[in-house]
Amino acid sequence: MPRPKPNKLHDELDALLDGRPVELTDELAPLAEAADALRAELAAYQLDPGVADRHLERVLHGSATVVPLPVRAQANGWDLRRRVAAVVLAAALVLAPATMASAAALPGQPMYPFKRAIEQLRVASVQWSPSREAVERTRIVDARVDELDRLVELQMFNQLLPALDALKQAVVEAKAAVDDARKEGEPSGKAEVQLDSIVVASRQVLARVAIAAENAPVSLNGDTARAIAHAVVETQGVLAPPTRETGPGGATPTPGTQPSPPDPTTAATQPQPPPSSAPEVPTTTAPPVTSTTSPPTTTTEPEPTTPDSTVTPGSAGGGGDTGSGQGTTGDAAPAEDAPADVPAP
Amino acid sequence: MLGFGGEREAVSKVGLTAADLVAARRREPAAVTRVYTAYAPALFRFFMAAVGDRHQAEDLTGTTFLSAIEALPRFRGPIEALGGWLFQIARHDLYDHRRRQSRSRIEPLEDNLNEAAQVAGADDPEELALDRVDAERVVAAMRHLSDDQREVLLLRMAGGLTAPEVAEILGKTTGAVKALQHRGLASLARVLGLRSPEQPQERPYPSPDPGRLTSQEEEER
Repeated sequence: MPRPKPNKLHDELDALLDGRPVELTDELAPLAEAADALRAELAAYQLDPGVADRHLERVLHGSATVVPLPVRAQANGWDLRRRVAAVVLAAALVLAPATMASAAALPGQPMYPFKRAIEQLRVASVQWSPSREAVERTRIVDARVDELDRLVELQMFNQLLPALDALKQAVVEAKAAVDDARKEGEPSGKAEVQLDSIVVASRQVLARVAIAAENAPVSLNGDTARAIAHAVVETQGVLAPPTRETGPGGATPTPGTQPSPPDPTTAATQPQPPPSSAPEVPTTTAPPVTSTTSPPTTTTEPEPTTPDSTVTPGSAGGGGDTGSGQGTTGDAAPAEDAPADVPAP
Repeated sequence: MLGFGGEREAVSKVGLTAADLVAARRREPAAVTRVYTAYAPALFRFFMAAVGDRHQAEDLTGTTFLSAIEALPRFRGPIEALGGWLFQIARHDLYDHRRRQSRSRIEPLEDNLNEAAQVAGADDPEELALDRVDAERVVAAMRHLSDDQREVLLLRMAGGLTAPEVAEILGKTTGAVKALQHRGLASLARVLGLRSPEQPQERPYPSPDPGRLTSQEEEER
């Protein structure tokens, strides 16, 4: 009897392993038996439910206790100290240059996310003290104002919208922190003074932004320029009068958090409302009018002075989120793309 | 192309849907748990057979799953391709683990057995060793296979992947994977005493040097 071709045997064995019906020949029988034996042995390997719980806990909450692998002998104290020192040294060697390098980063630059992460780390490290947190958050406002100024200087207009959003949020958070410090009875004067002076400086920067948007080069399209102007107006609304005017206690809107009238220095530079036939501002470039992270004291946003009816809170909802949408279209991508994310072993 | 395709609601062979994938990307606990329940047992079997140590296999399973969930927003394939993608991460983690192991010091077998006996609650390490040999006869026999054959069989039998999925992970053709699994099982059958009539007796095991390819293996590549 002629022996079947190897390829046919391979296919038959493959079908057998997949559970498809195949005639069990003499050649396939020992292979099937070996496969069954292997499968039976593998089936005996059962994951402990307690271990499964720990894995899930670690994934969902990142707080599972680490189960140490059995070790032959405990490291002595000297070994432990050496390891800790090595880790600290390595962290310092990595973090210090990165921190310095990221200090001057601007939105859109590779080191910028690192800069923001370090800021959050610093805030988190002082959250035990409301007054220190207020000072730290005031520093962040200062950084945002500085970034905005440099963006205008470098004519990086495409980053102005996210930078304005970031400034708004930083101001809101700093004010809330100062309020908290005051309520806790902690000395918040230093932060208040700093914040007030930064707010004054930021008005001038915003005026420059408005001028830059108005006299933008051809590379900045008209819709984006209008969206920037709109965001400038909103940010000016968030920049309230000095926080010291805010009454003590109470979470209701206070005079300190009410939108101030347009600054005379900046009013002249406010962009004029576009004609009614102006093209609709793309929702992808318009910033959100209200921030979901804003505390109650700052939710009363001023009405935009530009009666641009096309930029409504609803239409601006997607602003600043152009790059973070759920990639539903990406789900339909071919499977060949998937392994590209896995580094080659 | 992996998967079924053409269906409105794609369902993977382990019962996950595209909605599960989307929810798991957002780390919704129910979806993450479903993905874990669907794949963790297979991952554990794969690692257990590969490293032969329960603690290490558990650790590798957890690490792989955590890496996968963290990388899930970047996974762009359909739900049917998720299994293959997970095992690609698993394979990568296994290589990392082996690299680390090769750098660490070698521990005496006696220590391992004593420790394992304590973990298993057995009184006598020797008794435990014999039990293990008996219970893991087939997996132990896999050490006689070439690296490629062993990997294909593990992904196929422990991971529950299809030949095309294994081929995609290993960067081989489906035909090569089928040939490897055939020869791997034939060798396994011989080692276990289930003689395969088609294999020559004078060469019961593949080349002792896994890095050295036989002419047949070269053809497969």
